[in-house]
Formats: sequence, structure tokens, C-alpha cells
Amino acid sequence: MADAHRLSHDVAPGKLGLDPAALARLASLPLRARVIVQGATAGMHHNPHAGSSIEFAEHKEYAPGDDIRHIDWKAVARVGRYYIKRFEDDNEMRTYLLLDASASMGFGRKGVSKLTYATYLCAAFGHLLGLQGDAAGLLVFDQEIRRTLPPRTRPGHMRDLFAALEAAFPAGRTGLERALSQVAEVADKKSLVLIFSDLLDAPATLASRLRQVRSHGHDVVLFHLLDPEEIELPYDDLLHFEGVEPGDERRLLADPAELRAAFRKESLAFRARWQGTCREGRIEYRFASTDRPPSDVLREFLFARQRHFTGVAGAAR
Amino acid sequence: MNLHFLGPSLLVGLLAAVLPTWLHRIGRKRARPFPFPAMELLLGADRQVAARRRLREVLLLVTRTLLAAAIPLAIARPFAWVRSEIPQTSALPQTAVVLIDDSASMSRSPGLAQSPLFERARTQALRLVSSFAPESEVALVLASEGTTTPLAELSNDRNRAIAALSTAHGSFRRADFRSALARAAQIADTGGQRDRHIYLFTDLQRSGWEEVDPTTAARDVPVNMADVSNGALWENHAVVDLVTEPTPDSGVGGVATTAEIANYAATPVQGLGLTFRLDDEDIARTTVDVPAGGRVRKRILHPLPPGRGHVIQAMLDKDRFPADDSRLARLDVARGIKVLLVNGDPRTVRNEDEVFFVEAALRASGSLFTPEILAPDDLARRPLGDVNAVVLANVGALPEEGARKLVAFVQGGGGLLIGVGDHVDPEVTNRQLGAILPQPFGAPRTASAQPGAGREGETIDERPAERLLPISLDRRHALLTNLPDGEGLTSSRFFRYLLLQPTAEGAERAVVLRYESGAPALIEGEAGRGRVLVLTTSLDREWTDLPIRPGFLPLMQEAMRYLAGAPSSDARASLLVGQRRSLPVTADEKRLEIRSPSGQVYVLTPDAPPPGKHAVREGDRTPRLVPFDRTDEPGTYRVRGVHEDGSVVERPGDTFVVNLDPRESDPARLAPDKRPDAASRGPGGAPGAVRRFELWHVIGAILVGLLVAESLLSVRWPRRWPRPTELWLKLVAPRAPGGSP
Repeated sequence: MADAHRLSHDVAPGKLGLDPAALARLASLPLRARVIVQGATAGMHHNPHAGSSIEFAEHKEYAPGDDIRHIDWKAVARVGRYYIKRFEDDNEMRTYLLLDASASMGFGRKGVSKLTYATYLCAAFGHLLGLQGDAAGLLVFDQEIRRTLPPRTRPGHMRDLFAALEAAFPAGRTGLERALSQVAEVADKKSLVLIFSDLLDAPATLASRLRQVRSHGHDVVLFHLLDPEEIELPYDDLLHFEGVEPGDERRLLADPAELRAAFRKESLAFRARWQGTCREGRIEYRFASTDRPPSDVLREFLFARQRHFTGVAGAAR
Repeated sequence: MNLHFLGPSLLVGLLAAVLPTWLHRIGRKRARPFPFPAMELLLGADRQVAARRRLREVLLLVTRTLLAAAIPLAIARPFAWVRSEIPQTSALPQTAVVLIDDSASMSRSPGLAQSPLFERARTQALRLVSSFAPESEVALVLASEGTTTPLAELSNDRNRAIAALSTAHGSFRRADFRSALARAAQIADTGGQRDRHIYLFTDLQRSGWEEVDPTTAARDVPVNMADVSNGALWENHAVVDLVTEPTPDSGVGGVATTAEIANYAATPVQGLGLTFRLDDEDIARTTVDVPAGGRVRKRILHPLPPGRGHVIQAMLDKDRFPADDSRLARLDVARGIKVLLVNGDPRTVRNEDEVFFVEAALRASGSLFTPEILAPDDLARRPLGDVNAVVLANVGALPEEGARKLVAFVQGGGGLLIGVGDHVDPEVTNRQLGAILPQPFGAPRTASAQPGAGREGETIDERPAERLLPISLDRRHALLTNLPDGEGLTSSRFFRYLLLQPTAEGAERAVVLRYESGAPALIEGEAGRGRVLVLTTSLDREWTDLPIRPGFLPLMQEAMRYLAGAPSSDARASLLVGQRRSLPVTADEKRLEIRSPSGQVYVLTPDAPPPGKHAVREGDRTPRLVPFDRTDEPGTYRVRGVHEDGSVVERPGDTFVVNLDPRESDPARLAPDKRPDAASRGPGGAPGAVRRFELWHVIGAILVGLLVAESLLSVRWPRRWPRPTELWLKLVAPRAPGGSP
């Protein structure tokens, strides 16, 4: 991902990829990821200049997930504890994919569920990072951390990542705070943290936790995923609405047509609230309705990144 | 209001009213569970619209419940019997005479900002006429005294009846239900329908019903009455009399004016403002306290300015019947009417003298009359140039010269009153005065023995004495206009009187008073340019007790004024609404112009006098009398003469005033048993005018309203209406060729 800013583009962002329903018909997740990435990077090309600085910077205590190749054995011999050597201008960037697999992410009546959509995006990001030789890790969580894959670049890591994604299923309550704590603990240098969640029933403290992660120097991107029906409430019959997550006893008997206008306003305000929170915490906020082609979401993200880094480089010159 | 139904069994359908509630409950139970993650957003949205939604749900449920109930209710054809303002009427074709009370009391407004009773009566009558079956015949009669009948012929033309009703207007006259009902019954008798009715709209004021027999008032035609006042009590105060009399003691031209104020309310009135105005200028302002149901008199002394035609007015603070809060009187006081009393039966005992009572009556007026007593034999020698009127009191045969002189006097414009008695020989009188007698004398008739007149041993005649027929008191006649009380005459007893022979010449003769037997008591006739009054009984107490009755004095004074040709006197110049005023037209005058209180000008052109009567001889300057009947407005009427040469001369001396009949001021209501419809109202007197009020159309209208309300409540209105441009883009732009979707 460190080379993302090295991409240039010949075409404007648009709907170039397959929609989620069409993607679902493809055979495997790696294939879907490849299709998404191809759709997103069509017209783009790589910067031929690669970074190569390996100047030592500092030591960091070993934590599970760190590459054992970077263990400073001399330090081990001296102090009897494991330390990792860190280097300045290391072009290898570590990316953590945080996938919300709570029960609410399983909602999706007409197309794919939010969780499926999130796995497509995670797979696409993993594939893209793998192509660039960057390490991508994965945390699948609900109220607990269900699965952890540390960022790796070794052969076979991508296979493990796809397998973990395909194994993800919706259950439990949302516990994003815990996942963020985990990332803050294990990320030893500035990393890219990509969060995929619907943020429904997120606690009020989540915003401060996000800002906390950002304050550690990590680049945090929040992909806010909502089903179109969670935006429009397109139902006509009298319905007995009930919560989906365990322990949610809320019920409401209502005519959706009566609530539709107010619901749209509530939904819009919900997104605007998170957008504002992210802006304050210098966190990148990306909203995605699950009826959009994932490649469009990926492409917009890449273009935005490119513009951002181009702007930063221009300012430095 | 009792509710009734034509089809009560259909009310079973009211059970359908529970359907909406039942369906609502079923619908709630049938709602399927729907797992939805964004419950927080949903509950937030629900909080926004919860109050509005609940209100709408409740309103919808209520509306639908009422709708479900209204349909069977309307089908069951509900109706109610309600009291009706208009009389109950039949749905069959009928002969209907609409009789509207247009008397003065109907011009009052029952409350603030309410239309007068006459307008209410007219509105109700219009509704009644509109409700008649198409083939019905309708006529319209008004109830005031002497008024014309707007629609005297029965007509099938509904528009004609409505037009007649619309143009009818109230009057200030007094009600006369005896004549009006008789007229209405007469018209109804000519109708072609079997069902005949008189519909009477009135305020049920007692005045005007005095001479009505409720059982025979309208013969066999049933009378349906509508009380347009709705039985509301009416409190009124009024100026019921205004009298002026000269008061020489208070100086030259001094006059005393007395106003009589009546309070018809059940509570006393205090501090009621009373203003006296002389010729449109206030001369006195005072207040009066009048007890409940009582009367008070207020007297002021004031000088009379020079000139003639003065009018004084007494005005009370206005109430809801302002027409009777003011009264007018003419102030010119005629003085020095010379009356020659020819005594046919002089006596040494004064009160047995034949002319004692007449002389006393004339002298009671102060300086107005100058009576002079004369023996019959002296008549030939007495010049009559300064005499205004002559009274023959029980005079037998006159000297021939005297008789001729008397005939010439009358035919030249003089006045003659003849009172009879035992000395009068009908044959002689007919021969001597036949040229001027209105009707030849016949034989005397004894009605009963005079009390105390029978001698010992004589058979007492126990028959009741004759009395005057009350209805013969024609108050419109100038002689009786100013009599304060008719009782003063009708209480008199007549023991003996002279019958009159039939005559073919009836045109110039008028019966002023009649006995109960129908025989004339007082007749009036014109002779040449003069007038003759004949009282068919004596002027003393020999044949009657009239001279000691209260009516005798004013009757004699009025008779002398009348005979003396003093039309400009104060009494003659104060009329009641509807009364006739005779105005003199001199030979120089082409016509008279009379300006009414409202400013309308009436033109009177004297007709050519009939041969032998009123013949204008060469050089004769004696005025002719022209009747004026358009005295419909209370107020001051001013007269001016238009001469042959076109010059106009104001005649202040002939100014006259017209007042409301004080009986119209009395709010006393007609007793229920005196009503012509008393029999049909039942013994309890309960109001019989009810009508069936159909409610199904009201419920139908409510049903339509509920449907509209239900539709409006069911529609989900946008919170913001789209702008015209938005509507255009939404509706038209997608269809435009080449338009982008």
C-alpha cells in the first residue's frame, strides 16, 4: 500500500467494476478480489521507482505477529529479551483490515449482506497489497476478536487471508473498540488501519478510541457500510421491527410508509455525525452503500489517496 | 327533540361500527416480524412522528367508526318532530290565505340587531308559501285597520304570491283582526280546493282582537297561527297622550301641555328622559318615574309664539319600539266659536232645562265656545251672521220665518245639531227642515221605562235600556277621533229615541253612532255647504242618561267644532294613523300639496262638486272640503295651496299631526282561550305547530364530510410541497425527447 501514491490515472473514477450481486456469482473470493482490483486500477500504472532505504531507527519489543527475521539476536544475547529492529523509510507498509462480523452485518435482503460486501473489499485490499508486496493483516471481530492474521508478505499468507475472510459469518454484538485496542497493541510502526463496519449501535466511546489509534501515528480509514434498505426504508406493509443482535429486545410495530421521511433524515444525520467525528479526528471516512460496485469504492479510495499524497509531495517540494 | 326512524330494524347495521376497531386489531396482529439492524434510527424516526401518527390513527379510527355507523343510520331514515316557526301545513293542495299582522307593534325589533317582527313574519310566510303543494291557491291579506289587500284573489301562481309578500310592508296602523279574518275567510270561501286554511302571522298583541269572537272569527275556515315573537315578553313605555289647552292665567298666549307616559313593563322605570319640543326646538327636558304598569302625567306651561301651525312634541328616550316614544299635537287654539242654543223646553230648575247639559259642556272648554241660549220664537229675529253653529234642543214647530232662516243658514255653510224630545213633532220638523235633514224623522220608539219615571199604579216597563253598538264607534270619523275613551259613550243608556224614515239619498249621509237595535243614534248629513247632525234622542236626561256620561262633554265639543267648520282647531288637527283629514280648498286654489313627515308630497285636486251639493255659485268664496287619507306615517303633515295663477301659499293653519294609536303600545298578549286556533291547540294550550324534520340528509352530508375527512387523513401529505419547477422536472422533463433520465 505504500506504493499507492505512486499510482497515476488516465481515467476518471466511475462505475467500472461489477456490482456486488454479479461478484457474488464469481467462483472464489480471490477471483472476486482480482476482478475488483482490476476494475479499480484500470487505466492506472505503477511508479517504477521503489524505495530501498534500510537505515536502522530503533528497537521494539517483540510481539506476536512480528517478523522473526527482524529479531536482533545480539540484543537477545545481551539482555535476554527479544527485540525487533526497525528502520527509517521502510517502504513496506503494514495494513490491518478490521472486519466487523457482528450480527447486524449479516443484513442484506436484496443483494449481498454488509458482511459479504466487506469481505469483498477486504479481499480486494489484500490482493492489491499483495501485488505491491505490502503486508496485510486481518482482524475479524464481533464483541470478541474471532480471528487474527498478522500482516505478512510471505507466500501463502494471502491464501490464509482469503480463507479467513471466507470463513467469516455474522454473529454477536459489535465490539470495534476491542479490535482497535488490539491493533494499537500490535502495530509497531505507522500502519494503515482499514475498518469495515456498519457502526450500528456503536458506543459513544468509539470516537475517542479511533482518535487514540490515530494519535499513535496510524493512518485510519473507516469504511461505513450500510444496506440501501437501511437508508431508504422501502417497505409498505405494517411490520413488526425487531433488533437482530443478541440481547437487543427493542421492538416497534409501525407502518414504514409513515416513518420513511423521518427515517431518511435519521439515517442521513447518523452518517453526517460519523463523518464529522472522523473529520475532527483526522480519520478518513468512506461511506459505501452495499449496492455500489466494490471496485468503485476501492477506486475512489485510491484516487483520493493519490490526490492526497500528490498534494503532500508538491507541498514538500 | 325526539328521534324517530322510518326503518328502525335497519339500525341493526349499527353493529358495523365496531368493524374498523376490529380490523385495526386484526391488522396489528397480522403484522409480520421483521429483523432490522437499524433499530436505533427507526426508533429515532418514530419519536419524531409518534404524536402525529397517534393522532392520525385515532382520528382515522373515529372517522371510520362514524362512517360505518352513519350509513345504517341514514338508511334507517331518522326524523324528529320539532317546533316549527311556521304553522303546520298539509302536503296536499289547499286554499291558503296568508294573513300577516302589519300593525304598528310589528315594526318593533325583539332584540338588538334583530330584524323587525314584520320582516320575521314575512320570511316565515315566504317559507310557508314555498312549502305548499304546487296546485295550492294562495292569497295575501294584511291585518291593519283600513289597509288594502295585496293579493285579494286566490292564485295558483306561486311567484305572484311571493312577489306580493316581498313587496308588502309594515304599517303604523292599528290591527283589526275582526275585519281581516272576515276578509280572509271570504277569500278562502272562493277557493277551489277542499282543504282551506288561514295562516296568520302575528305577535299576538291583544290590541286588535277586542271585537273578535274566536269561535266565529273566520267562519268555518281553520286558522293556523304563528307567533312571530316566539312568546317573548315585551316591555314598553310610551307617550300615550299629549294635550294642550290655553292657560290665560299664565299670560297672553300661555299654553299648558300635558304628556301622559305609560309604562307597560313589570318593573318601574325611573329617570326616563322626556323632552318637549315646540316647532323642532327643545323647550323643556325632564325625567319621569313611572310605576310598573302605571301612567304618569307631565305638565309644562309655555308661551305660544305668534302665528299658526305650531306643533309640540313629547319625546321619550328610545326603547325597542321607538314609534310610540314620541307624540305630537297641534297648538293652534281656536277661540270664540259662537253657538246658538235654541231651547225647546226651558225649565226653571236648571238641571232640568233642555240645554243645561249642552251649555255646561261648551262652557267647560274655557274661551273656545261662546254659547247663547235662545227661544224658538226669537230665531227669526236673531241675525245669524256671527253664529257658527245652531243647536235645536227639543224644539217643536219653529216660526216659518225662523225655519227658512235656519235652512238658509245651514245651506250657506252653517252647522246644525238637532236633539229631539217630547216636543218634537216629526211631521212638522220634516216639513220645515226637510231640505237640510239628512233623513226624515219617523215615530219615536220607547226601549224601556226611564228609571224613576213611572207613576204609581203604572205598569213598569222592565225591558233593558238601549245601548250604543260598540262596533259602531268609527274612530276614524272626525267626530270620534279625539274622544279619549269609547267607554264614555257605550256605557250610556237610551230609554227612548226617534226612528228615522228610509231615504234614497244616502250618499251625503253617514251614521256616526248606532243603537244595539241597529237604529241610527247619531247621523251626519251635508246640506249645501253646511252640515247637520241629528241625535235621535234628547240632549237632556229625559230620554237618555247620555248627558251625565263622560263621553257627552267631548262629544258635544267635537260636534260643535265639526259643525262650526273649525278644521284647524287643535283637536281636529291631531289624528291617528289612518284617519281621514278633510282639508278646505278655497275657490282660488287649484290644488293642495301635502308634504308627509318623510318628505313625500301628495297632491289633492278637488273634484267638481255634484249638482245641488257644494255648488259653487258665482262669487262664492266658501271653501270646499277635500278628504286626505294617506295618513300612514306618524309625524307632521304640512299643507300648501297652489292657486290658479301658479302661486304657492303655505297654509300653516292647516298643518296637522298624525300619531300612533296608543293601543298599539300595550304589549299585553292575547289570552290563549281567545285565539281562533284555541280548539286545535288542545286543552293544555300546548303549541300545535310542529313539523317533521328529516335527518337523513343531514346524516348524508355528515357522511360525505366523513368520507372526505377519511380520504384526507389517509393521504400522506409531503412535508414540503414541490416547487413548480420541481413538478415540471418530475412530470414533464422525463418525457421530453432527448431528456436525460
